[in-house]
Amino acid sequence: MIQSKRFAAYLKRIPSDIKKLLKEPFLLTGILLVNVFLFLFIVLPLFKIFQLSFEVEGHFSLRIFYELMSKSYNVRPLIHSLTLGTAVAILGTLIGFIFAYAITRVDIPWKRFFSVTATFPIIAPPFMMSLSAILLFGKQGFVSKMILQNVVQFKIYGFYGLLVVETLTYFSTAYLTLYGVLQAIDPALEDAALDLGASKGKVFRSITLPLATPGIASAILLIFSQSLADFGNPMILAGNYTILATQAYLTIVGMYDMKGGAALAILLLIPSLIAFCVQKYWVSRKSYVTVTGKPSSTRIKMDHPVTKYSIFGLCLILASIIFLFYGMVFFGSLVKLWGVNHTLTLNNYRHVFTVGWEFIKDTLLLSSIATPIAGILGMIIAFLVVRKQFPGKRLMELVSLLTFAVPGTVVGIGYILAFNQPPLVLTGTAAIIILLFIFRDLAVGVQTGIAELQQIDPSIEEASTDLGADSARTFRKITLPLITPAFYSGLAFTFVKCMTAISAVIFVVSGKWNLITVAILGSVENSDLAQAAAFSVVIIIFILLALWLIQFLVDRMGGGRKIKFEKPEAIQSI
Amino acid sequence: MKYITPIILGIFIVVSSLCSPPVAKAADVLHMYTALDPNEAKIYIEAFQNETKINVEWVRMSAGEVLTRLKAESKNPQVSIWYGGPSAEFIAGKKEGLLVPYKSPVGAPFLKGNLKDSDDYWSGFYFGAIGFGNNTSWFEKNKVPYPASWQDLLKPEFKGQISIAYPYTSGTAFTTLATLVMILGEDNAFEYWKKLDANIHHYNTSGSACVTQAGLGEIAIGIAFSHDILAKGTSKGYPVKGSFPSEGTGYEIGGMALVTGGPEPELAKKFIDWSLSKPAQDLMKVWFRIPLNPEAEIAAGATKASDVKLINYDDEWAGNNNKRLIEKWRQTIGK
Repeated sequence: MIQSKRFAAYLKRIPSDIKKLLKEPFLLTGILLVNVFLFLFIVLPLFKIFQLSFEVEGHFSLRIFYELMSKSYNVRPLIHSLTLGTAVAILGTLIGFIFAYAITRVDIPWKRFFSVTATFPIIAPPFMMSLSAILLFGKQGFVSKMILQNVVQFKIYGFYGLLVVETLTYFSTAYLTLYGVLQAIDPALEDAALDLGASKGKVFRSITLPLATPGIASAILLIFSQSLADFGNPMILAGNYTILATQAYLTIVGMYDMKGGAALAILLLIPSLIAFCVQKYWVSRKSYVTVTGKPSSTRIKMDHPVTKYSIFGLCLILASIIFLFYGMVFFGSLVKLWGVNHTLTLNNYRHVFTVGWEFIKDTLLLSSIATPIAGILGMIIAFLVVRKQFPGKRLMELVSLLTFAVPGTVVGIGYILAFNQPPLVLTGTAAIIILLFIFRDLAVGVQTGIAELQQIDPSIEEASTDLGADSARTFRKITLPLITPAFYSGLAFTFVKCMTAISAVIFVVSGKWNLITVAILGSVENSDLAQAAAFSVVIIIFILLALWLIQFLVDRMGGGRKIKFEKPEAIQSI
Repeated sequence: MKYITPIILGIFIVVSSLCSPPVAKAADVLHMYTALDPNEAKIYIEAFQNETKINVEWVRMSAGEVLTRLKAESKNPQVSIWYGGPSAEFIAGKKEGLLVPYKSPVGAPFLKGNLKDSDDYWSGFYFGAIGFGNNTSWFEKNKVPYPASWQDLLKPEFKGQISIAYPYTSGTAFTTLATLVMILGEDNAFEYWKKLDANIHHYNTSGSACVTQAGLGEIAIGIAFSHDILAKGTSKGYPVKGSFPSEGTGYEIGGMALVTGGPEPELAKKFIDWSLSKPAQDLMKVWFRIPLNPEAEIAAGATKASDVKLINYDDEWAGNNNKRLIEKWRQTIGK
């Protein structure tokens, strides 16, 4: 009843909204352009996949799925992906929670160190964790051979290997989500319980944990979709434990079975979309935290020595594991021939900067073009969504956030289907890679922009309009300066994503335009571990340089604002 | 604060312009897909560039992947030449109408019989036989002899110790599959592979990857081409030694071909002519491939056709049955 009333009111508003829009041609063209782009580069590719899968001789049909499910080589990856995703989600959330709880609630030393360590995996290039898993625990691995002398054999190819590397990669998501949630829980509640005589354990069980539950559920769902979308790690470590994302890739790249690949992509898309919708429209609404509440500094920390040091020890162990994985890649990149000749050498880097130089240049070029465009477009969409009234606004927001939910493999397949034939032939060009970068990472900017704008009082902008400025001028002079911090966070994050992209772009790279991540895939496919390690180190260095540069400039000119991956939503997409 | 946004955006623009390729040099560029190992392909391609001053832009993919990429791009071909990969894959490409015939005057004197396509759709440029790359330390430790026949691979002691690529991505693995079908007959070959599957540690996408894996000791036996076993294993310093099956083994004539509708057919022809010349064929030494030009030098220790027992490998049949065999393999093995 209320719904239909609201809908009626909405319908009534449309004519006046349109009338208002017509008075502002600049705004109108902006909205139209944004919608055209969103349609072309997000909706159309997805539509093509559905069209190819469901259309048989011009009719709608579910036959392809019947065919798919009747083949064991398609059913197994589906079960594997879902099992792995669930396991990684639970374990990753647990570890993320330990870190977040330790940092927000326990009186442990080295908090800053732990918080940096917990966010570090975000900049990890694809394949990197798997690569170090082989270097550490393979038959010639640092741990298995040199330390344990091959007494224990690790089964790194398959479920357990993937579980470990994906957990180490994606627990950062849980950490960032839960850090935000725990930070925002009003400490007065916990303090009150303590004052009333509850033990600290009881406070944790009956206050903190229940209040954090929506955040935990949210983290589980986010990691679940990240694990489903993961392409790099299974490509190396899956062994015989076949996974949907890589299987879809092999079906298309190896067999040119576009239809089969597209159908696998849909199998991959469905659970991701369900997780996204549950997270966005159900779990996040159950949140008990107060958004505007400032965290109080007088919180009573857990300071019982046993609790404190056991949690500290746990964090220390986890942090050392992460450092071990990173350090190993660095060491591996300096070794002459892994497993045989461990003399240190710079030969691999010579290879990277001679053979790989073109790859590095192309990657930097394409990322540097895509990053600012994605950032600006994201801010424009966020601005339109939060501040303007026009028909189809909610839909526009949903579409721009859709890229969060859709696994890269699916997007890549959609792009080759949509842009390999007239009217839009883009295959083989730089444009297709740039567009893919922009629209893969758009959601980050949109999400951070929306969050930022919602906290800024619109009356400042209204004042500007009242004084005679039009929409464009107000946006440039008032809104843009106010949302710059979010803009820089978005830029930094988008750049990281571009530099480490693989799952979608692997379908559209060509001889003219190559990417470092694709070179890593090539090295890994040929088992040139040291080369792959050197490429990974180079990516990390470039990312750190870029982040440092942006931070440095913002510090210098902007009065010490911090660029952080502080919005948990910002890291949903892979 | 006022200037920071323009500065940051400006930096992005500067970086992108620094990295962008010079526009002017667009003159002579040959676009290529190659199925050779990237580190190897680079050697030949650079030699070609130095000699002819023609630039080559190339992408490395496994042979099966090249085939599918060419099919995908048939409406809008991106490359002019497909360089490297077993002839059977080229025959499959010829069947799909992806290739155009070219008879190289340089190769004409020695490219005879099965060394080229009967209608000149592809030209061969090297020979290599399928073999087993064995990790010597594993065999010493376990006191087992090297596998000397296809049947040996089924021994229980090799459980989880063998690696090969997917027949649908890799020319090496497809050649192995076709070889087994030719030796055992189709039904027995698939029965055989079902048992072999129990001993397979995992499948790769690239055919030569298993050699490095054998070298690293991840597995004991990799099934690969003789030249890859030598080039990526033994000669690199890995404890890898090759052995060959007594029932006979399949082989590849590595091919190259012009792509239908490719943008630079003349440059591609030049490349094919160059690849068959003595200097180019001499370079095959670096990867232990056996050159087809009789004047070219052969690497010491390389596996020649006379060194192993070869079956009468029918690449024509293999190429024409490529799709069917692969689909049957996937159904039977379930991978």
